[in-house]
Amino acid sequence: MSYVLAKSKNPDIQEAGECGGAVTSIFKYLLDENIVDGVLALSPGDDIYDGVPTFITDSEDLIKTAGSYHCAPTMFGDIIQKYLSDKKVAVSVKPCDIRSIDELIKRHKINPDNIFTVGLNCGGTVSPVTGRKMIELFYDINPDDVVSEEIDKGQFIVELADGTEKGVKIHELEHEGYGRRLNCQRCDVKIPRKANIACGNWGASDGWTFIEINDEKGEELIKGAQKAGILETKSPSQDAIDARLKVEGIMIKMAKKNQDVNYEKVSGIKEWDRCIRCCACRDVCPICWCYENCELNKSYFNASDVPPSPIAFQGIRLSHMSFSCCDCGQCDDVCPMDIPVSLIFDKLQKKYQDRTGYVAGVSDDVKPPLYSPAKEEL
Amino acid sequence: MLEIKHTLCPSCSVGCGINVVSHEGDVVGTYPYKRHPVNEGKNCLNGRNSIEAYKNKLESAIVSNSDVDIDKAIDEICSNLKSKDSDKITVFCSGNNSVEDIEAIKSFAEANNYNIASYADNIVDIDGEVASYDDVEKASKLIVIGDVLYTNPLIGRRIIHAKDNGADVYSFTPEGSVTANVSNEICDSIDDVLNNFGDNLDESSVILFNTVNSSEDLDKIKEIADKANSKILPVFSKCNSKGACEIIKAQSKEEFVELLNDTDLLLVFNDDLIPEIDFDFGSISTIVSFVPCENSTSNASQIVVPVKSWLENDGSFVNAMGETQTFSAVIESDALGVDEVIEKIQNKL
Repeated sequence: MSYVLAKSKNPDIQEAGECGGAVTSIFKYLLDENIVDGVLALSPGDDIYDGVPTFITDSEDLIKTAGSYHCAPTMFGDIIQKYLSDKKVAVSVKPCDIRSIDELIKRHKINPDNIFTVGLNCGGTVSPVTGRKMIELFYDINPDDVVSEEIDKGQFIVELADGTEKGVKIHELEHEGYGRRLNCQRCDVKIPRKANIACGNWGASDGWTFIEINDEKGEELIKGAQKAGILETKSPSQDAIDARLKVEGIMIKMAKKNQDVNYEKVSGIKEWDRCIRCCACRDVCPICWCYENCELNKSYFNASDVPPSPIAFQGIRLSHMSFSCCDCGQCDDVCPMDIPVSLIFDKLQKKYQDRTGYVAGVSDDVKPPLYSPAKEEL
Repeated sequence: MLEIKHTLCPSCSVGCGINVVSHEGDVVGTYPYKRHPVNEGKNCLNGRNSIEAYKNKLESAIVSNSDVDIDKAIDEICSNLKSKDSDKITVFCSGNNSVEDIEAIKSFAEANNYNIASYADNIVDIDGEVASYDDVEKASKLIVIGDVLYTNPLIGRRIIHAKDNGADVYSFTPEGSVTANVSNEICDSIDDVLNNFGDNLDESSVILFNTVNSSEDLDKIKEIADKANSKILPVFSKCNSKGACEIIKAQSKEEFVELLNDTDLLLVFNDDLIPEIDFDFGSISTIVSFVPCENSTSNASQIVVPVKSWLENDGSFVNAMGETQTFSAVIESDALGVDEVIEKIQNKL
């Protein structure tokens, strides 16, 4: 592991990027050198609250992916697995994205040789409709007037076109039921160290991206972009490294507190009796990949049984993949009945972690222990 | 090239947003559209499966069970239209058509003095303001008719929010259903739920229904809502039924069957009437279907003309709460739009 500060040498990318455009420049290098077939990243949809996964094959189009989206809780693991498995892809990944990709690699659903992963440090994401409501309520600002948003120093900060900024403490927002998604509040993986590189502004000075280089491929990425003349780098000071670790530590501490408070609620979940058996939770899950062969489709399950018995319905999924749950919260996001699905899956993963040491999408084990000889020891 | 584009779900009248994934020119999946204010990225199974229609697209026009080119089918339609008295010709459209298509269909029928019919779940005469989804969430009391949580989950979710906010929910829905599970009281009939709990309603209450058995049921719902100064929210089974009703007066099932009894030539735009209307469609001498993919009615039609599916179309729908929503094609298509087909027919009449 090594650290570097970086920024783009391309003025347009530097201007468009959140922290000097290092990420966009690395993607440009990969596309221009034909190292990848395309780049999977977010581009703006309806507005700044709407990030749409976009596969870019021409580096001229990369500029629209520059910047960050805290109100776009997307998931890239399943997109790569379902639609891009035959392509060489560079992808920007939040911690939950890379954790799902790592689990899919372990299941041979993604070829690690085909992907370049540029990690983005993540303090959490906000659902777009919630984000707009919260800006109206707590900031007294028309959400359409906001030109950018960021999470920094414990605040969710919005910026208007005239450059003015307004921030509200995240814990105040979350106390009122707004702020980050519930799974993000519990998430204790803030820096995506399984990605080839992990980028962010924590510890970085203005206009620079702090990059943690996690493996040889990451090293090659940085060196290649430098050699191509698109990336400027310098070494971070020890103070910068310490500051970044401090931010990470504070966020993990907050997450652990939220875990303690919320895991206790699992036994009291009453929402299962409104499950309509639409399987949206399964279908969106980046770890579930059995599709038509899913046990839930088998004839011994009575499809007309609505609501289904949670022990049978969720129990099947829990036993199949909860040890690999990366707490991305997609199941919560898509459940039409607002059932807090991820809470129970995440809690079970943590129990599994306590027993085996296996952290989904983070541990270096070749397979989760239930897939391996370690099963016998459990 | 992989693309993800926004559009609207066509599977009921709630008006949910949905992202459609296309790859190498083919529709391959859906993806949550979390920025959409109606459903925030949540779609029911019907909504997510609505792309299946694209996979079963009709590839060519059909006349008397044989594939023909579009122009031949149009000639055949025109010949049939010319050979019948206009008062024996009925043009049918529904909430499966966009606002723009319904306007084109209405103009076509009126220009040629054909009968025009529209049907929306036996729900007629719903004029004026209906409850918004926010009204449902903020309601103090809700009367729910039908298993709305299961059939229209993204309205059902608003019922859950209302319940979380302290609302009382009274339902006519099967015991053990998901709607029953969030209800304070369940009744055995529409009459029972209206009679037993109608007096509890106030001006912040909503009567929400996705089914009525008869016009008497509907009259009673309206009467009780008027008396309590409450709002009503009919949730239709088709995405643009509310929009269709605003352009063409919807008929009751009895009225529609009466019209069919007097019809020799029936033009059906983008619908499947046979499973929905209890009528001997074999008694109509010629049925023409304009549909993107085959269905029971097109299978019983003498002439079938393929038209663009919702995925290939631009236009607008009016959702259940009366809000107009626009949508754009998510994939290119060589198929004709309803307006283009009508223009071709009109030019040859």
